[in-house]
Amino acid sequence: MLSRGIISTPHPTSSLRLQPPTATVPRNVTVSLSRPLHSDYPLSISDSVLESRGFALRRSVEGLDLDELNGVFVAVGFPRRDPDKIRLALEHTESMVWVEQRRTRRAVAFARATGDGVFNAIIWDVVVDPSFQGIGLGKAVVERIIQDLVGKGISNIALYSEPRVLGFYRPLGFVADPDGIRGMVYSRKQKKKTGPL
Amino acid sequence: MWWSRKTHTQIHASSPSRQVSLNNLTVGWTRHKASFTLKMLTLIHNAIPSSFSSFSVSPFHANYHLSSQTQLLVPSNLNCPFSTTATRKFRTFQLKAGFWESIKSGFTKTNTTQVIDPQSIDEEDEEPLPQEFVLVKKTELDGTVEQIIFSSGGDVDVYDLQALCDKVGWPRRPLSKLAAALKNSYIVASLHSIRKSPGSEGNEQKRLIGMARATSDHAFNATIWDVVVDPGYQGQGLGKALVEKLIRTLLQRDIGNITLFADGQVVEFYGNLGFQADPEGIKGMFWYPNN
Repeated sequence: MLSRGIISTPHPTSSLRLQPPTATVPRNVTVSLSRPLHSDYPLSISDSVLESRGFALRRSVEGLDLDELNGVFVAVGFPRRDPDKIRLALEHTESMVWVEQRRTRRAVAFARATGDGVFNAIIWDVVVDPSFQGIGLGKAVVERIIQDLVGKGISNIALYSEPRVLGFYRPLGFVADPDGIRGMVYSRKQKKKTGPL
Repeated sequence: MWWSRKTHTQIHASSPSRQVSLNNLTVGWTRHKASFTLKMLTLIHNAIPSSFSSFSVSPFHANYHLSSQTQLLVPSNLNCPFSTTATRKFRTFQLKAGFWESIKSGFTKTNTTQVIDPQSIDEEDEEPLPQEFVLVKKTELDGTVEQIIFSSGGDVDVYDLQALCDKVGWPRRPLSKLAAALKNSYIVASLHSIRKSPGSEGNEQKRLIGMARATSDHAFNATIWDVVVDPGYQGQGLGKALVEKLIRTLLQRDIGNITLFADGQVVEFYGNLGFQADPEGIKGMFWYPNN
């Protein structure tokens, strides 16, 4: 549920201004949205523009070469992963959006989200092949995955961002550490702290 | 609504004021058919893990008459260098030197439960964690036996869960959505209290007193949500035990990346369980959060 929508700062290289739902309500009133957001959610680049540039948008594993995807992960600096584990992960993934270059059938951008299907979702593995960066494909996949999640009624969408791409996510509507909430990761190497407060 | 963003955690300082002292407690466990029994060895200053003997309260009787008996049943190898600092937000029993002194001081006068202070796992435990086991067992003055059962099997009644969420003051969520969220979670861990009164002909009272769940892609990542403990059972280390066991279950299923979002007040709680905030500067971000 959203109230007091936050208007994002427009990205300098695009004319898009992302708008959250337009209702502005006092803080102590909760608003139930009666229709899904996706119909209002403008995209930086439309599907048809992407198509005209030779890219197709895909939302399932069909046609996705996992070894190729692994290659993109490695190219952007992720560790190489067991393709069987990737397959397992994708089978248990709530939503995925990827961009296929039609001519080569290669996956050039990817994002996926996991969650409980009703309350929360986390976006993982947002990648764009280095040769295809800078033309809006990253935005395209993230915006569409948000669209899908919001369309399912999930409004609590989170992710873990490396420091160097915080600026990529902010114009898309993401806020770091809202209300002092911190993302935390379990570390096996870390011993229990018996130390001072 | 604001509450839904984070891995909501309810811990409060509501523990009894008695404190137990133990030093260098080493505990170990062996597997029995249905439950795990803690074989506890205590020496005043140096715990020597020598031969195991089944837990009995007779050593305590030598110095102090026990009006209640408590068994700690913890299926893990715990080396417990106990923290001597209480955290601001919640108190667990502090275990310091002077075991016998504390017994004499009246610890056993009340129906207290000896506290589990689960430590973070130093190395990955070899033994697989059973899906369900008794975490704590205590006998009250009137002979009522209460067991706290941990389960990772997801056997949580959605009405019980809603009542528990009400108790800690969380805003109501639709039952159907709660049910769906549980069903779509990779692991749902729960704590139930089972109470048996003497002469009740085996009639048991079973109550949900804690829950934590994790969503996952079953391969790489998991995120923990909705950690809750009944206020009447807080301050005993049950929240820690719940999360610690959930983590262990995830690790044993080979999920390498365990994450969560912590409200500022509970960052330390999770820090003590082995979580790190913003590792390598990686930040949790939320899409259009309510402010």
